[in-house]
Amino acid sequence: MAVTDRSPSDLDPSAALIAAALALPGVLSSNAHAQSAPDQGVIALRYYDYRDWQPGASRMSVRSPLLYAFVPLSDAWTVEGSVLHDTMSGASPLYHDTLSGASGLGITDYRSAADAKVTHYFGGQSIAVAGAYSTERDYESRAASIEWKTWSDDRNRTYALGFGATRDRIDSVNGIAKHRHRETYDFLAGITQVLRADAVVESTMTWSQGRGYYDDPYKLLDARPDHRRIFAWLTRYNQYVPAMDATLRIAYRYLDDSFGDRSHMLEAAWVQPLANGFTVTPSLRYLTQSAASFYRDPPFPQGFVAGEPFTADTRLSAFGAVTAGIRVAKAIGADVTVDVAFNLYRQRGDWRAGGNGSPGLAEFSARWFEVGFEKRF
Amino acid sequence: MGEGDTRPPFRYTFRAMAAVHELILWTDERRRANRVARAAIADVLRIEAKFSRYRDDSVTTSINRAAGLAQVAIDAETAALLRYADRCHRLSNGAFDISSGVLRRAWDFRRRPPLVPTSDEIAAAFAHVGWDRVEWNDAHVRLPNPGMELDFGGIGKEYAADRAATICADHGVAAGLVNLGGDVRVIGPRPDGAPWRVGISHPRVDAAVIGTVEVRDGAVATSGDYERYFELDGRRYCHLLDSRTGWPVDHWQSATVVAPLAILAGSYATIAMLLGADAPAFLAQHRVTHLLVRADGTVVTASPSSARDAQVVVA
Repeated sequence: MAVTDRSPSDLDPSAALIAAALALPGVLSSNAHAQSAPDQGVIALRYYDYRDWQPGASRMSVRSPLLYAFVPLSDAWTVEGSVLHDTMSGASPLYHDTLSGASGLGITDYRSAADAKVTHYFGGQSIAVAGAYSTERDYESRAASIEWKTWSDDRNRTYALGFGATRDRIDSVNGIAKHRHRETYDFLAGITQVLRADAVVESTMTWSQGRGYYDDPYKLLDARPDHRRIFAWLTRYNQYVPAMDATLRIAYRYLDDSFGDRSHMLEAAWVQPLANGFTVTPSLRYLTQSAASFYRDPPFPQGFVAGEPFTADTRLSAFGAVTAGIRVAKAIGADVTVDVAFNLYRQRGDWRAGGNGSPGLAEFSARWFEVGFEKRF
Repeated sequence: MGEGDTRPPFRYTFRAMAAVHELILWTDERRRANRVARAAIADVLRIEAKFSRYRDDSVTTSINRAAGLAQVAIDAETAALLRYADRCHRLSNGAFDISSGVLRRAWDFRRRPPLVPTSDEIAAAFAHVGWDRVEWNDAHVRLPNPGMELDFGGIGKEYAADRAATICADHGVAAGLVNLGGDVRVIGPRPDGAPWRVGISHPRVDAAVIGTVEVRDGAVATSGDYERYFELDGRRYCHLLDSRTGWPVDHWQSATVVAPLAILAGSYATIAMLLGADAPAFLAQHRVTHLLVRADGTVVTASPSSARDAQVVVA
């Protein structure tokens, strides 16, 4: 029996068969370099409970439910958004030991916020447009942003560029700030690189430039520059550890603020999957920062000169802070995850790297709980 | 891809098309692997539902029901499968024929005690075989005589394996493989760079392998006389029927072929079984690595020089 194709036009029978096979839809990736949109939707509900205190004084508490949804509309479009409502109670944090009584007005008792983002995937790229709105009794914020991402052909590298604009309006309850505004522009550039099958590194730089009202209207004598530039450089590294079937996450952030403060933040987390769908993630974070150039040590108001910037806000002091956290998550089936998390934060002047933090400040502590439910569909 | 990566892949086993299938996926996390596996399995089930001759609502059933009657409108996917089956028919000089399923009316491999049909019974069924007589184009197909049937069983599973692998790759899975009832399509090489070692089932010894194929990409498929058969008076009658004679083939116990796509590997293997003694020449002409097991159990292998990535090791 002769083994030949009966069609005289087919010189190479292999080529004819292979051509017919390749004409079948989907037997080879026809669009190997395209990044299609995520195909799984997510709906998540989180509840957040925050409380802070200083020795002998319980200060502020915040309770906040958050609803988040992510919906893929097609291979090329996704939409996501969230809404939250904070309820706050208690006095404004007693930032400064010696400032007792200067912050007696308390703070706003609610905050409502919503954001939405639409992402379009095309070729090896995506473009996302987002908007956010937040309102409190004395504060209103509107933000818009656009972000562009592109993937390398092997999808092991991602580049991201972003631009955002925010406009805030401040109307303090005490009448100190009336219709004051602040505009901020942010630029972002980032790269994510898969190093091996088990390691990923991500590095993102953001530049922020703002102009407008930066004072804290509830603090006596608080006067800050009307412009601010912040440069932040965040690098994350995730390493899978096969011996433990776990993932080590390390992050470092350098931040330089035109107010004069500079900070270094180092964080490590260990993501350990356990039996029965449980994952336990202990984490530890250390932050050390220098004081803003116009921060003045106690006693208040030492160092105040009329017409010059001045603040006694401990957030702008020199300090070190440690956050210890643990998160326990449980997967229920393939599509549902529930988790609880607890974090404890402590900030002290003498915990600054080198030990020369701002003197005369009381230790500041905070803790927060989170409970979350997430369903993918 | 680090050489030190010893992380195990995620494995999924599922049933469809009357066989057990397996997906092996290397991804960074189980949730992503689950999502990819769901998408791939859904497409396998889609193809089964669309082309199964056992389903009332399938394309195949609608074509077969209209035999001798009107033409049936078909979509592009069905037309592409018909065109591919037509190529296989021509390449095999008519031994491979997707209209040969009606021979099962004569050959009942489930019957106990087994019975070899009479030549009249074979001739009666054989009268309904004939791809050459089928009227088809890119939009329509018509079986000219009542009693004719099409059956995509010979290519549907391999087509599904190729599509499942593409879906996994398009979802970003770089390492893994798809095994649909013994037809293997590689999604991408193992993360440690080592080739996949695909065992070739021994045609006579259960759970034993007669050889191993090492592949970094492409596909491996095996056709054999041991899937459905009966034995009578010392002779084995297997389900692989030569469409030119209506009789089971008996030259090879099995044929394993390495090719870039599962559908190609599967067709080459099936056609090799059907062509009997001409199989080595046919496979050499198509320059594919293969392993053939003769009726006496001895093995023939060949790797053309162009097939650099596939290596056959006889056990």
